[in-house]
Amino acid sequence: MLEDQDMSVREAAAFAQDARARARKELVISTPLVYMAWGMVWLIGYGAMWLSVRGQHPYTGPSGVAIAAVFVLAGFAIAAVLVIAHKAVAGIDGQSVRHRRIIGSTWAIGYLILLIVAPAVSSSVSTRTLAFISFAGPVALVGLTYILAAALGRYWSALALGVWLVIVGTSCAWLAPATILATCALGGGGAFLLMAVIETRLRAHGS
Amino acid sequence: MAAETELDPVIHAPARLRIAVTLATLRDEDSLSFSRLQELLGLTAGNLITHLRKLEDAGYVTTVKAGRGVTSRTSVRLSPQGRRALDSYTAVLRQLLDSASTNGTSPH
Repeated sequence: MLEDQDMSVREAAAFAQDARARARKELVISTPLVYMAWGMVWLIGYGAMWLSVRGQHPYTGPSGVAIAAVFVLAGFAIAAVLVIAHKAVAGIDGQSVRHRRIIGSTWAIGYLILLIVAPAVSSSVSTRTLAFISFAGPVALVGLTYILAAALGRYWSALALGVWLVIVGTSCAWLAPATILATCALGGGGAFLLMAVIETRLRAHGS
Repeated sequence: MAAETELDPVIHAPARLRIAVTLATLRDEDSLSFSRLQELLGLTAGNLITHLRKLEDAGYVTTVKAGRGVTSRTSVRLSPQGRRALDSYTAVLRQLLDSASTNGTSPH
């Protein structure tokens, strides 16, 4: 191609449109895919734990198989998100990279705190409180992380998702353990899947 | 900056238009490595340098070199002036296309 060749207005518009579409595809993290991955993990993971505690009298907690399934699913989701993000942001440097590090660290530290606190208080709190900390805690934590991401990067869809997840997590304080799991599966996983659909539509309309 | 009915000649070239649009996809404070930009646009290094120089001379992009020797890395960023120039270029382009479709003429 002659790179300094004359272009008609129509050709220029087509060049700009193609370049914009390609750049967005290559350089922007696919949030619908990320939302889809976490939505599936939460829906299936919390759903599996809910199925394992449904009908327990008294409540003894999710089965080992259900908990193991959650960790395996979460592992796959983390790996998938890292691959998607790494592919998109390769070669990019600047403020958004620093923001992603802050968001990632906040998320990791928050989960670490929950992983330490839940077993530490397990013998001194009621099963209902323990279920709230262990199952609703991560939902509220992820919600706060999305609010942080929205504040740092002006991602308004992330703000809506974050606020919703905090509401879902907090509302679990009044629920029984089995209902907490069902609420997190539908209110958390369902919200991620809904956001995946909304983001896909927004992207298709060029927002 | 170009007049409102004229396309900015610095941007109005296929390679430079693609460079500007690609860099505009990034957030304001972000830059893209020279090698990733080259890979995305499929240009030779020499060609890309030539076009980046023209954009840099117009104040539309800034290039930053970091490190030395084999670890050195060149990054390119669209300046605020470049972002404004691309916005006006796009607006003029849209105007010309709209007026051509209204008049039923070919927009050249």
